[in-house]
Amino acid sequence: MSIEPDVSLDGKKLTITIKGRFDFGSHQAFRDAYERFYKVPESYIVDLKETTYMDSSALGMLLLLRDHAGSDNSDVRVINSNSDIRKILAISNFDKLFDIS
Amino acid sequence: MTAAFEPLTILIAEDSAADLLLLTTIVRRQGHHVLTATNGEEAVEVFARERPQLVLMDALMPVMDGFFAARWIKQLAGEELVPVIFLTSLSESADLAECLDAGGDDFLPKPYNPLILAAKINAMDRLRRLQATVLQQRDQIARHHDYLLHEQRAAKAVFDKVAHSGCINAAPNIRYLQSPYALFNGDLLLAAYTPSGDMHVLLGDFTGHGLPAAIGAMPLAEVFYGMTAKGYGLAQTLREMNAKLKRILPVDMFCCATLLCLSSQRRVVEVWNGGMPEGYVHAIATGKRTALISRHLPLGVLSAQAFDDSTEVWPMALGDRVFLLSDGVLETADGNDQLFGVERLQQVFYANREPGRLFEEIEQALAAFRGRARDDVSLVEITLQADLPLPTVQPVYTDSGQSCPLDWSVSFEFRAQTLKRYNPLPYLLQLLLEVHGLREQSGALYSVMAELYSNALEHGVLGLDSRIKRDAQGFAQYYQQRNERLARLDHGYIRVQVQVVPTATGGTMTLRIDDSGPGFDVEQVLAQPLDIDRLSGRGLSLVRQLSSDVRWSDGGRSVCVEFCWKALA
Amino acid sequence: MAEIHLDPNVLSGLQEVMEAEYPRLLETFLHDSEERVTALRKARDDAKALGRIAHSFKGSSGNLGAVRLAQLCERLEAESVGAQAGLGALVDQIDHEFALVRPLYESERERFSL
Repeated sequence: MSIEPDVSLDGKKLTITIKGRFDFGSHQAFRDAYERFYKVPESYIVDLKETTYMDSSALGMLLLLRDHAGSDNSDVRVINSNSDIRKILAISNFDKLFDIS
Repeated sequence: MTAAFEPLTILIAEDSAADLLLLTTIVRRQGHHVLTATNGEEAVEVFARERPQLVLMDALMPVMDGFFAARWIKQLAGEELVPVIFLTSLSESADLAECLDAGGDDFLPKPYNPLILAAKINAMDRLRRLQATVLQQRDQIARHHDYLLHEQRAAKAVFDKVAHSGCINAAPNIRYLQSPYALFNGDLLLAAYTPSGDMHVLLGDFTGHGLPAAIGAMPLAEVFYGMTAKGYGLAQTLREMNAKLKRILPVDMFCCATLLCLSSQRRVVEVWNGGMPEGYVHAIATGKRTALISRHLPLGVLSAQAFDDSTEVWPMALGDRVFLLSDGVLETADGNDQLFGVERLQQVFYANREPGRLFEEIEQALAAFRGRARDDVSLVEITLQADLPLPTVQPVYTDSGQSCPLDWSVSFEFRAQTLKRYNPLPYLLQLLLEVHGLREQSGALYSVMAELYSNALEHGVLGLDSRIKRDAQGFAQYYQQRNERLARLDHGYIRVQVQVVPTATGGTMTLRIDDSGPGFDVEQVLAQPLDIDRLSGRGLSLVRQLSSDVRWSDGGRSVCVEFCWKALA
Repeated sequence: MAEIHLDPNVLSGLQEVMEAEYPRLLETFLHDSEERVTALRKARDDAKALGRIAHSFKGSSGNLGAVRLAQLCERLEAESVGAQAGLGALVDQIDHEFALVRPLYESERERFSL
């Protein structure tokens, strides 16, 4: 499991790539990935291309990120989700809160 | 990192007197306390008696050699690490290897080099202290673990009292399967009757496991039971539950839930599903299954303004069943990590011949499939049975019954903005229950009020045509229209008047409801046969059954019912 | 390279470590070593015993800086395992070497005694 943040040159866009299992054990690493930027990014992308598994604590972490990013004013996109993950996001209707592709 | 210097007690076992003297002096000079022995047997004796922290042992000694003595000492030391450094002028690797095999941790060649000796003593001491820390932490963890287990048991005991005070065990038409620790994995199963005899059921699944999840369930249960008992509908109960969880839970915790209201009087089930796997309405006559799909975000995520309380309504016939399940069912895995999944569940449905056995068949299929038992499986089956007698368990009143209002009247006018978001029925019921004589009829009272209010709202103010509710499709359409029109409502009213007067034998309560709608042909509707009336009509026969007198006026825009009671002795 | 009978660096190292106990160390060594030489002579035909004593002697002579003595003991230890011939000659050499270094240790002891 690895969580890799990557910020754009102008500091406005933060991409967090999650490899492996996205579950309870990822909690601290995920928070570290976005909490430590002095200049707060304007938009966030969570890349799930290499994510093998996601559970409800991962959903909770997405909510934490959204809250950090400005809640209703946030711009958080979840990209490259495979069909299993998309199913999980669909059942919980998270597409009403996040831009999911 | 240099730790503060701590003098050790070191045992030196060496049979050559000069070497022993030299070594002892070197080690003492380094600040340590020295014990000596001149052969293996003496070394073991001294160790057992004095328990030094480190041993320097000559490999070849008379009367039990160093290797043997070292093994014995290690055994006496048990879990603790007592480093043994072999003193040796052995040069063959095989011999040196034997030193380490015998349990030696290092060796010091002759001639002795004081610097090297000091460095080795320090290195071994670091290892010794590390081992001591590990053991200490292990014991600490074990103690904490026991403590946590104890706490969890206590919490579970409290929770059981709260969570199981509903009708889940008493209701004859509910069957459920819940693994013993489902509770402790955030699965919640609640059921309670409304005053009119409808049943509310909640199947919930909190994120997280263990104590945090179980704790979140308690305030939720409180809201559920409280509001259901007072006659609040699903929408209001959902809003309250969502607001409560949003307020008290941390951002990353939420509760997936399916909440439903099953009415055997009205032959419908009303459903709200936020994040749970789909449930099913299983029609016995046709074998048709309607999926109850998750259309909402889980509870505790959205703010009150953004929360969507819209429900779906489906018709049901007597004997039809509703199945709800937690994702523990679908995610039950076999020995090869294959999941049970939706397809297998569908197979059980297809294969079923006897509806009454469906629940067991699902249970059996799960048991047969499962290699690894999951601890969070919840499965519920609720059957629509013929009108059950209204529940006899009455809420407890705090007053002594000596004083109550016997001669009074009140009228309300609820206008568009209020009609959109507020259900006045629970409040009106509480008001009427101030009259003691009415208390034993509270079930009937609530059913009648609910029916008449619903007619006034849907047919009167919103102008919906109940003939649409002919089949399942029509049902869905009807309720969709209802939600749309209610959301758009900007004019109209419902007036409620209550009149309570004492009589010679007791008292009479007259309830009158007016709406701003176009009215209807009362005679025509009353003439319709019973069945049609049930599914798509106005439930008027029910009203007539439950109250003493019902009359319409003003072209169907106004209805009046009476309830009487005998004075209590 | 000249054979080192007594390494002065080792001696000065020992002086530093032992300080006031230095003479006592030398005395103890001399006493032990005399006993070992006697034991070697007695054990002439017993290869195992010779090997054991030589091993022990090797250790302490090495510690006390008697380099050549230590080397001879090492040879005796090694050869006592294999061929039995020629062990007697080695014992003689050890005896001889000890006789050589003994007065050197004794004068060291005298120098540092009160």
